[in-house]
Amino acid sequence: MTSERPNLMPRTGIFYHPSFSQRSYLTVGRRLAAFPDALRDLLALPQVVLFEPQPVSDELILKVHTPDLIREVAKDPL
Amino acid sequence: MVAAAERIWLGELINAFAFIGAGGHHAGRDFFGGYCCFNDVSIAIERLREVHGLRRVAILDTDAHHGDGTRDIYRDDPAVLHVCLCGSDYASSDGTKVDVAIHRLCWEAGARSDEVYLEAAEAAFAPRARTFCPDLLVWYFGFDGHRGDYGDLGLTAACYNGLVGLTLALADQVCSGRLLVVLGGGSRADLASSLIPPIIARLADAAR
Repeated sequence: MTSERPNLMPRTGIFYHPSFSQRSYLTVGRRLAAFPDALRDLLALPQVVLFEPQPVSDELILKVHTPDLIREVAKDPL
Repeated sequence: MVAAAERIWLGELINAFAFIGAGGHHAGRDFFGGYCCFNDVSIAIERLREVHGLRRVAILDTDAHHGDGTRDIYRDDPAVLHVCLCGSDYASSDGTKVDVAIHRLCWEAGARSDEVYLEAAEAAFAPRARTFCPDLLVWYFGFDGHRGDYGDLGLTAACYNGLVGLTLALADQVCSGRLLVVLGGGSRADLASSLIPPIIARLADAAR
């Protein structure tokens, strides 16, 4: 997924993960079904770079949220 | 989100658009809801603060609903400017937390809702951002206020085109162009396909 093009700055990053198109924002579920195909023309531009985000650590999440919130999110059926 | 913010901060990118799997702005320190789990923007901010020395961030939230989670996390933090266009009307004593009651204004504006929304966003955010001098500008972009979506404010693509122009210009003025656009609410696949690529195209134009 990542297609970095070094030495072309400044650049625009697009951060997208395929899972977002499978089970995206939960009000409807697949609002991003057309992606990443809908980005094809943009990704052909030399200054546009696509990245696939990776999970962050619980340690970082705990800088913002409480341990209880992490536990409750993990239990949420959504 | 974290990776996008870091790459902007490190100068590898000038701007970025971050898609999401679940929302973020309704997740507070110890509560979540509204299809949000973790406050992605706040987690990115804390990473930049801790590791990279970020000082000040300005957030424009144009999701149709109040960013109550973000507000909860930064309620007493004067280093975060949070301007939210939503259903309430509020300004903190230090001026860094502002809500604009845009719902009524748009409903009253009818066919002029795009124009009214843009004017309100610019009036509430632009002068504050210029005074605040952030290191990074974040636009929390929801399209749920588009005509026919679940937060319908009568908005069209013209409004979002105006908002990306506003945030790009402000980022250029106040923080060397560093702009992170974060996808928020909005449910319709046809709107996502028609609204998101033009916004990224504007970001890319600014990066040439």
